[in-house]
Amino acid sequence: MKKSGAETVIESLCRNKVKTVFGYPGGAVLPIYDELYKNCHRLTHVLCAHEQNAAHAADGFARVTGKPGVVISTSGPGATNLVTGIANAYLDSVPLVAITGNVAVPLLGKDSFQEVDITGITQPVVKHNFAVSDVRELSGILDAAFEIASSGRPGPVLVDIPKSIQTDVCDESEFLRQELFFNELPEVDLTAAVSAITAAERPLIYAGGGVTASGAEKELLSFAEKISAPVACSMMGLTSLPAGHPANLGMCGMHGSQSSAKLQSECDLIIALGVRFSDRATGNTAKYKEGKKLIHVDIDLAEINKNTAADIELCGDVKTVLKKLLSLLPHQERPQWQKRVAEVQKLDRLPEENTLTPRTLLKTVAGYCEPDTVVATDVGQHQMWTMQYFPFRSPRTLLTSGGLGTMGFGLGAAIGGCIANGRKRTVLFTGDGSFGMCLQELATAVSQNLPLLIVIFNNGVLGMVRQWQTMFYEKHYSSTTLNRKTDFPALAKAFGAEGKKVTTLSELEKALNTLASDRPTVLDCQLDMDEFVLPMIPPGGSVQDLVTGRN
Amino acid sequence: MDLFTVELTVANHCGVLNRITGVYAKGKHNIESLTVQKSHDPALSVMRISSRGDAAVQCQMLRQLHKLLDVKTVVLLNNSML
Ligand SMILES: Cc1ncc(C[n+]2csc(CCOP(=O)(O)OP(=O)(O)O)c2C)c(N)n1
Ligand SMILES: [Mg+2]
Repeated sequence: MKKSGAETVIESLCRNKVKTVFGYPGGAVLPIYDELYKNCHRLTHVLCAHEQNAAHAADGFARVTGKPGVVISTSGPGATNLVTGIANAYLDSVPLVAITGNVAVPLLGKDSFQEVDITGITQPVVKHNFAVSDVRELSGILDAAFEIASSGRPGPVLVDIPKSIQTDVCDESEFLRQELFFNELPEVDLTAAVSAITAAERPLIYAGGGVTASGAEKELLSFAEKISAPVACSMMGLTSLPAGHPANLGMCGMHGSQSSAKLQSECDLIIALGVRFSDRATGNTAKYKEGKKLIHVDIDLAEINKNTAADIELCGDVKTVLKKLLSLLPHQERPQWQKRVAEVQKLDRLPEENTLTPRTLLKTVAGYCEPDTVVATDVGQHQMWTMQYFPFRSPRTLLTSGGLGTMGFGLGAAIGGCIANGRKRTVLFTGDGSFGMCLQELATAVSQNLPLLIVIFNNGVLGMVRQWQTMFYEKHYSSTTLNRKTDFPALAKAFGAEGKKVTTLSELEKALNTLASDRPTVLDCQLDMDEFVLPMIPPGGSVQDLVTGRN
Repeated sequence: MDLFTVELTVANHCGVLNRITGVYAKGKHNIESLTVQKSHDPALSVMRISSRGDAAVQCQMLRQLHKLLDVKTVVLLNNSML
């Protein structure tokens, strides 16, 4: 049977078990949107307010489900609006399939209306991309896109489909296969790792997004217990271990816990699992590794030795490697080290507070959350406080922009995450600055009847930048004081959402007790602009430079 | 810094060279010479690229290049092979 390119797109999406796509229509994707119209019984299209947020929604959807999220946009500005979303997914290794329309094949290369070279533009921030030039390739390319996005180290894949190819027809028998050269994983030899772990006196596990990507949370827990090692998480790995587990040191790095910084400097062996030694997680790399051995496990060989030289390289899937290690290693008690770990963890305890502060705000909201509540954040101080004080209990419940640090990520991600999690209550912790970069998406959350809880940390400033200006630029508050008169509760109501101003803890509790279940609620929480995110290891520093208090 | 040359077998279609030079550009490595030729298999071409860098850079470049889905094989040529 002959099929048009647009029909082939729908068939490929359904064959790859896609039920929800996010996007925004336009001239160059009209044939695809016509097929979406005809196929709405089996494929739901969520219309967003902006393509960037549609990409973040697909990203949030993917982070919750572990399956590729799909976003569709038109050519030109629709396609360029996706770029930040694609780059965001790339830096956090999120499986994403982005489909863009382009001008008809005869118009390509002529600066036609709404023509951009989107494969060229996105090339450095995709795992792979395709410019379809023949309708017979389309089906194979889309299957390949899903395979690439979700296999090995996940990442975004863009497929650019000229409009004429969407309307060209061909018979299934004419479909062409895509040839791609996937890297095979080498056999790993664990002998050296086993002896290094057995010989170590003070091992520490550094867990990252690779633990989530490979679904290795259970194995990680058994591993940490078996070898008596504490676990410091990168931001992407924060849900690797439930909060409150005695081995969990929380986040490491620039705004990591004191215990993670101290124990990292005291350990004699680092076992790095699915991490990439980002500068935000390590600080000064030379000091970071001083006097320690390093075992680095990652599915992406190019990550090993990229930022930090490994003594033992294990290229493989974290879960597979951990399973093998668990079968080879004996149970090991390390009483002295465990005692030291427990002692240092006392440093992370918080003083009691009874006013509305970033800490009490997070603790109070956490009290209203289920273990599987999905939590999204934007970027800034509020994001770091969420990492520090929100007790994450289950895998795939944290949606945050790690590598790119994209302000405006949060609302799109929360929408995608909420839809992926059965439209259950989903929380967004955002800042007054970040919310300004995505708030038009309230319209989408309202039209989708999503019970989002949007908590604005309203400190009146671009707090994270202001903190750096306080610490490193003599309090020159250049363009970080917002001086806005936005009435967030009124704004929420104008969009058809609920909105309340919150100035005290009891107002917060009252608001949380009366949340709407069929639309978003915005809580405009008034906070002090001079709060710092602490502790902090200044950029390029090490544990010796750890700042724990103001001045 | 040491001159090093890699030989790649890559898919023979439009956009591939861009992707490969993109890896060099991202690492801020200048390309000193580059050749591309058809191979006996019309679906594949062979590239030779020379650039400069120490052993760590060379290892990283090989790994980054190997990651590309258009790259079938990549080898570091030693001087005696040139
Ligand atoms: C798109 C984008 N632009 C600029 C920045 C730089 N930046 C990082 S944090 C921050 C301030 C964020 O302000 P707000 O959302 O109010 O959060 P707060 O730090 O006050 O909690 C800025 C401007 C960024 N991360 N992303
Ligand atoms: Mg702010």
